[in-house]
Amino acid sequence: MALAQHNLGTVIAFEFTRTIKKRGFAIATLAIPVLLIVVFALLYASNTTTKNSADAQRNAQFSFTYSDASGIVAPAGAQAAGGTPTTDPESAIEAVKNGSSEAYFEYPADPTKEPVKVYGADKGMFENGKYEAVARQLLEASAQQHIGSPQLTAALTGAVKFNSETFKDGKAAAGVGGVIPPLLFLVIFYISMILLSNLMLNSTLEEKENRVTEMILTTLNPTTLITGKIISLFMVGLLQVLVFLAPVGLAYLFFRDRLALPEMDLSTLVFEPGPMITGALLLLDGFTVFTGVLVAIGAIMPTAKEAGTIFGPLMAMMFIPFYTFSLVISNPKALIVQIFTYFPLTAPVTALLRNGFGTLNPVEAAIVIVELLVVGILILRLAVHLFRYGSIEYGRKLSIAGTFRRSELAAK
Amino acid sequence: MSSGAAEPLVHIQDFRMDFGDTTVIRDLSFDVHVGETFGFLGSNGSGKTTTLRALLGIYRPTAGILHVGGKVFEPSDGSRLGYLPEERGLYKKEHVLDVMVYFGRLKGLSKTAARSWSETYLERVGLADKAKARLDKLSSGQQQKIQLGVTIMNNPELLILDEPTKGFDPVNRRLLMDIIEEHKRAGATVIMVTHQMEEVERLCDRVILLKDGVSRAYGTVEDVQEEFGGTVYRVTYDGVLPLSSLFDVVSDDDGRAELAPLQGASEEKVLRELVEAGAGIRSFTPARISLDEIFIKVYGEQHELAEG
Ligand SMILES: Nc1ncnc2c1ncn2[C@@H]1O[C@H](COP(=O)(O)OP(=O)(O)OP(=O)(O)O)[C@@H](O)[C@H]1O
Ligand SMILES: [Mg+2]
Repeated sequence: MALAQHNLGTVIAFEFTRTIKKRGFAIATLAIPVLLIVVFALLYASNTTTKNSADAQRNAQFSFTYSDASGIVAPAGAQAAGGTPTTDPESAIEAVKNGSSEAYFEYPADPTKEPVKVYGADKGMFENGKYEAVARQLLEASAQQHIGSPQLTAALTGAVKFNSETFKDGKAAAGVGGVIPPLLFLVIFYISMILLSNLMLNSTLEEKENRVTEMILTTLNPTTLITGKIISLFMVGLLQVLVFLAPVGLAYLFFRDRLALPEMDLSTLVFEPGPMITGALLLLDGFTVFTGVLVAIGAIMPTAKEAGTIFGPLMAMMFIPFYTFSLVISNPKALIVQIFTYFPLTAPVTALLRNGFGTLNPVEAAIVIVELLVVGILILRLAVHLFRYGSIEYGRKLSIAGTFRRSELAAK
Repeated sequence: MSSGAAEPLVHIQDFRMDFGDTTVIRDLSFDVHVGETFGFLGSNGSGKTTTLRALLGIYRPTAGILHVGGKVFEPSDGSRLGYLPEERGLYKKEHVLDVMVYFGRLKGLSKTAARSWSETYLERVGLADKAKARLDKLSSGQQQKIQLGVTIMNNPELLILDEPTKGFDPVNRRLLMDIIEEHKRAGATVIMVTHQMEEVERLCDRVILLKDGVSRAYGTVEDVQEEFGGTVYRVTYDGVLPLSSLFDVVSDDDGRAELAPLQGASEEKVLRELVEAGAGIRSFTPARISLDEIFIKVYGEQHELAEG
């Protein structure tokens, strides 16, 4: 046992250092941050001439309709901002939906009790903030006229909630704020898969192509080897994410004002513990399942080239759930969504998406998490088995049934 | 891996191996005792590598008992095993020393011990300047030396070498033989697959001869020689060799011939027959049949069968 642990450490150290020493790795890892820096530099150059983007949004010019049940909004101020009063909310909303009007603000009778409803034509994530900004600006300015004290106004309007809804092609586009944090796990999943899948696939192929399997299998427990490889890959992934985030973090710290970064007020992000924990577990599960599958493919296929033929469809499994994106968030009961939620290869992405948009209820979440954990462990064990009895078949494809037939016979 | 003197270190009994529908090895049984050097011989495809792989748990045997030190081999027993597989290979893109230290660590050596052992070994085999080179920048013979080094790290109690001399030039073959002999003297048990019969005659205490997955001969080198006709007569002559019912001409080339006596014909009878027939005998030496000849004899039957 002590030797096995010592060996695990040795394998991790060896695999980690030799992966990060590869030239291809350095290029892949550094290419993206370099690209990001270039993009930031371009943004920086073009933005020094324009004004701060938050100001731009507040002063954005667009026409809108509004209804005011509270009587706070000053008609003159509204008109100056481009607003036309209306008394027919339904047709105003319809007009926004079908694109004949840009926005409609519905101020309730008591804005401190009910939210102000903001409807707008979808202008993309970064620009949609302008509707709320203008609606708020208008309410604040009007309130200030009534109260006469900017401080009091601020205190009062601080209690007002805004409900923004934007429309694209007549359909609701989802808001961003509460969705972002749990969706981060999906992003991490994708990034780590894109960066690591190839390494995972090749990590056991290397033993085969280099004919080192026999030496390894007689000195090292294959479970230790595979576990060591996966842990080292995990560390490699972390390292890459850190390298990628470094320029983003630096830019955010030093040039925040000059870059037209989406105004991400971190305080508006809601870190609800439920979805966050679910997301983290799903990420871990998904990572395990895909790693297991990739290692298993590596064990069956004699060369990287042949492994590539299975690799493509497998990666497609990660993107297929996006075809049902709108169903996933609007109608999670749909059969296809249900299938994608529980089929092990589509489950991580689908469940992470649903978790992000809050359509994955706790029971479903628990089922998927446990299912993926079980499947993941089984696949990893299968991968170890295939590596153990398959990778010696240098240069030929392995029949999975063959490895089991052999072990069954041996068990008799 | 250590065991009592009476108990064999390697015990194989009724071993059978099928690949799909083909049986590659049938009812193979043999033992290797502590401290002996054992020659594992057989024609190409007779099942030597398969047997070694099954013994070391790389293949799962279809049936039979294959024990190392009284139990089925596990990778965790590998710290005192030195296995040189037939399919050679190490992490090609890594540096020589890194790979050696890695395997040393896996075999339970400390990092410093693995490092200093490796450096000493590289010095000995004349590759000290390659310590920092990538393995794929080495010639194939040089890579073989590195692999041999990895094999004999941590003073293995059991050395299993599948065609160790493959790819070595005569000088390095000598070096390799010396290294094997050193380990043998230090008490290691050696199992060696080879097609080089002179290596067997020089190093091996006992041998097994495998043909088509079946044992054809098993015992000490002398036993096997005895079994396959024991004595031959080496003659040099300058006349004509007669046809005789007393002996077979095993080989005949440029005045040198090897005669195998038939039905226990004695030395004097054969010699008298030769002299009387006027063969012009210049020398006549009884000798043991060489393993080479036994090998050809056993292997040749296959061709006769195929033809007949
Ligand atoms: N993985 C495998 N699948 C199917 N058949 C195999 C496999 N490995 C070996 N064989 C067959 O088993 C037989 C014995 O092969 P093996 O490699 O053990 O021979 P060998 O005695 O080592 O020969 P050589 O002297 O050429 O190395 C051969 O007929 C070979 O085709
Ligand atoms: Mg062989």
